[in-house]
Amino acid sequence: MPVPQLPAPMIDLRPRLGAAVAKLEQRSPYAAVLLSSREGISIEVEQKEEKISQLPLSAGVVLTCLANGVLTERSLPGFEAGRLDQAVRAMHQDLGVAPKRTPESDEPIAARDFATAGKAPARQLSLEDKLERCRDIQRRLTRIDPRVVNARVAYVEQSETSVFRSRSQDLAQEVVRLRISAMAILSQDGQVRYDWLGKGGTGGWEMLGYTDEELNSVVEGAARMFSAERIEPAEYTVVTGPGVSGVLAHESFGHGVETDLFPKERARAFDYLGRKVGSPLVDIVDDPSLDGGYASYFFDDEGMLSEPTTIVDKGIFRRGISDMLSARTLDLHRTANGRRQDFTRKPYARMSNTFFGTGTTSVEDLFAQVDHGVFLNRWVNGMEDPQGWGIQITCHYGQEIVHGKLTGRVFSPVSLSGYVPQVLDTIRGVGPLVQMDQGTCGKGHKEYMPNSSGGPHLLLQVRLG
Amino acid sequence: MADPLKAAVDSLAGRSDLLGWTAVQRHLRGEQLFSDRSHVEVRRSVEKNNIAIDVLCASDGDAAQCGAARVMLNVGQEAGPAIEFAVRAAQRTRNPLYQLPGPASLPDVPTVDPEIVADPAAAAASLHDRLMRSSASQAAARLTLAEWFVEHEESHLVNSRGIDAHQAHTRLSLEWIVLAGQGEGRVDTTFDMDRRRLADLDVEGEWDRVAFQTADRERAQPAPSYDGPVVLRGSALETFLNSGTIGTLTSGKARFSRISPWEPGMSVFRGEVLGDPLTMWATRLIPYAEHAGRFDDEGLPGQRTLLIDRNIFQTYCASQRYATYLSVPATGASADLEVPPGATPQAELIADPHVEVVSWSWFSPEPTTGDFASEIRLGYVVDGGSRRPFTGGLLVGNVLDALANVRWSSETGFYGSYLGPTTARFGSLQVTPSRDA
Repeated sequence: MPVPQLPAPMIDLRPRLGAAVAKLEQRSPYAAVLLSSREGISIEVEQKEEKISQLPLSAGVVLTCLANGVLTERSLPGFEAGRLDQAVRAMHQDLGVAPKRTPESDEPIAARDFATAGKAPARQLSLEDKLERCRDIQRRLTRIDPRVVNARVAYVEQSETSVFRSRSQDLAQEVVRLRISAMAILSQDGQVRYDWLGKGGTGGWEMLGYTDEELNSVVEGAARMFSAERIEPAEYTVVTGPGVSGVLAHESFGHGVETDLFPKERARAFDYLGRKVGSPLVDIVDDPSLDGGYASYFFDDEGMLSEPTTIVDKGIFRRGISDMLSARTLDLHRTANGRRQDFTRKPYARMSNTFFGTGTTSVEDLFAQVDHGVFLNRWVNGMEDPQGWGIQITCHYGQEIVHGKLTGRVFSPVSLSGYVPQVLDTIRGVGPLVQMDQGTCGKGHKEYMPNSSGGPHLLLQVRLG
Repeated sequence: MADPLKAAVDSLAGRSDLLGWTAVQRHLRGEQLFSDRSHVEVRRSVEKNNIAIDVLCASDGDAAQCGAARVMLNVGQEAGPAIEFAVRAAQRTRNPLYQLPGPASLPDVPTVDPEIVADPAAAAASLHDRLMRSSASQAAARLTLAEWFVEHEESHLVNSRGIDAHQAHTRLSLEWIVLAGQGEGRVDTTFDMDRRRLADLDVEGEWDRVAFQTADRERAQPAPSYDGPVVLRGSALETFLNSGTIGTLTSGKARFSRISPWEPGMSVFRGEVLGDPLTMWATRLIPYAEHAGRFDDEGLPGQRTLLIDRNIFQTYCASQRYATYLSVPATGASADLEVPPGATPQAELIADPHVEVVSWSWFSPEPTTGDFASEIRLGYVVDGGSRRPFTGGLLVGNVLDALANVRWSSETGFYGSYLGPTTARFGSLQVTPSRDA
């Protein structure tokens, strides 16, 4: 098991956290301390421009107390012992009255440490190596077609280290997320079109290579856009690629089952616990422990150890994903989904790696069932509507399918919309292989964090426009 | 404690291998309040303090090229090793040469609300109290969640060419979720807003507006099939204009990357202009606007830049770097949009039958073509005195084609990141019908 490489000030502060928790719990039934550091680098390589940047650094301490149903927190920048002690004293004073609580055991708790594994760990590659690898992909893309006027390769390496301490937990983790995107920009007759392909996950550089076939597909995708048409708004038979399947899972039974929405009557799913919400072919899972998943972690920002949650099982809604506060409020099974944007934000119930489970129909057989329809394989964004159960997924383009074959006709952009249970109920074929995408997800229009969604190919009936 | 910015600046100034450098310290203090329908669930106090350092130096083995890199320092972190990393990174990259901006007169655009600076926690509590009182008096809809973020940020920028400047901002951000109806018929509205001063947030007025719209969503019908005039007002118009297409096509960075095909002197429209001529500025000089400021991340002064003059593209929004590369004026970072008043009173624009779109799920046009097909959260079919709400379906069109066929109101308003006509009547857009829910 790899050992987490925590920043030195975090290592220095860790032994003091038990005393801080104990002091706060003199006046609060529950207290915890989180040390959180998020840092990383980005490399961008284009035809005439290269940039290396350190990502916005976010490193600090969160003191948490839960008393009388109110969560009180203080966020402090950096990891200075003096500042921590001062904040603990001030919070202790503000809390006022001592709580009724079972006396704590004197048993020492064992520290548990975790770190991302990878065959080619990012830290073992020099900055020069990473830059040169990006340049190589950029050069290969540029050479594919004379219409390529620019190619852009963007690499992002994020390291999240955290220490969580409560009365019963002493946890540390280092999670390294890598992500790369190769984009081709083509020009023809004064028009500009582009396409891209991203890769990534938690692990090492072994995830980030591109085959020539993959790079060719990026340029072909962009070239196709020159002849793209607007789609006639109507209901279509659709085959979704894994990325679009993932956004469908994320927007339908991802956001809609974040349990912090439940007590606020914000999620229609709350009324559907144990009820049918889709075809029997539909399984949806959220799994922060997914090996190599871009949004994987070992424990959440509230100290809950990661494990998968089956949200929808054979079309039946079984369970939501929770943060600590909503799980306590509603007396629900708590899952490891209490996540913060960074140390300056509160935890919410948030997705990790969310995906449709596999089926048994080959991709060829899914296409063969389409007499006239559209293949959606490149998504741009999606938007949730947990209350109304509307869904919108915007795709960069869609490809026409006639008699089970792609005709070469392309539509762009294409928006998929509908009513979640109806959309999920139309799923009549599920492919055998799950693939995951990487992205960033907000809660509404804020609280952005690394996220991943995916699934197999799906065959369904939806409205496109 | 030693001044961390001074330590970083001393370290940078002592190096002979740099073509230039910029150091910006940002110190943020804030209060956050989270409430459900009846009581406060979470209170948070937040402080953040860091320094961003940009270095510019010659590329390894090629003095005709330069490299740039950025590092961030947290409080208590030593500057030396971070700067060393930045220099090593920058030397390995290759870019055309450019220079950092030098000192210039900085505008005194107001961006600070003293009331927020004095006591952000009291400001948050006061806003929340007003909201709770308003929501208690409204039967048509009910509040279920409110989040308030009240912040004060001070920044200090120093660069190698002699800029040494300070600025400060206050900011209040809110998110409310409002419900109407019960059980299967329950609907909600998510309302978010960012402002820089308390005076620009009319809590009671916004509550009434959002509650009314939420109640309308409860009785809304499925979207009709429609092709004709569409009206956008206020924040919906701001969303439309700031949705990415104009920002991408006028961006110096996007032009240098060959993503934007726009060139100064060309019409921004591909066909005949049927509506009012389009004129538009990018500005950081609107008092208390979202992007208002004395200077940007590079130290360029806040300015008001004419982007489009009577349908003709004038210049890019360009940092010093891209201004050098494109041989255009340096206008600075992204800015708020300003459109001049139109010639038609609003009452006239909304008199004839039309569809009004109030909100979308996410209005996200393709950034280079402007094509869009976005789900409508709330719209109205307006005919005479009748306003029939609808929900679902898609608004389909193209941002640029729409702007080539628009009439602007003579009344103007300020909407956080847009200053201009309160109302726009687009000659022809399409609404596709929703699938019955």
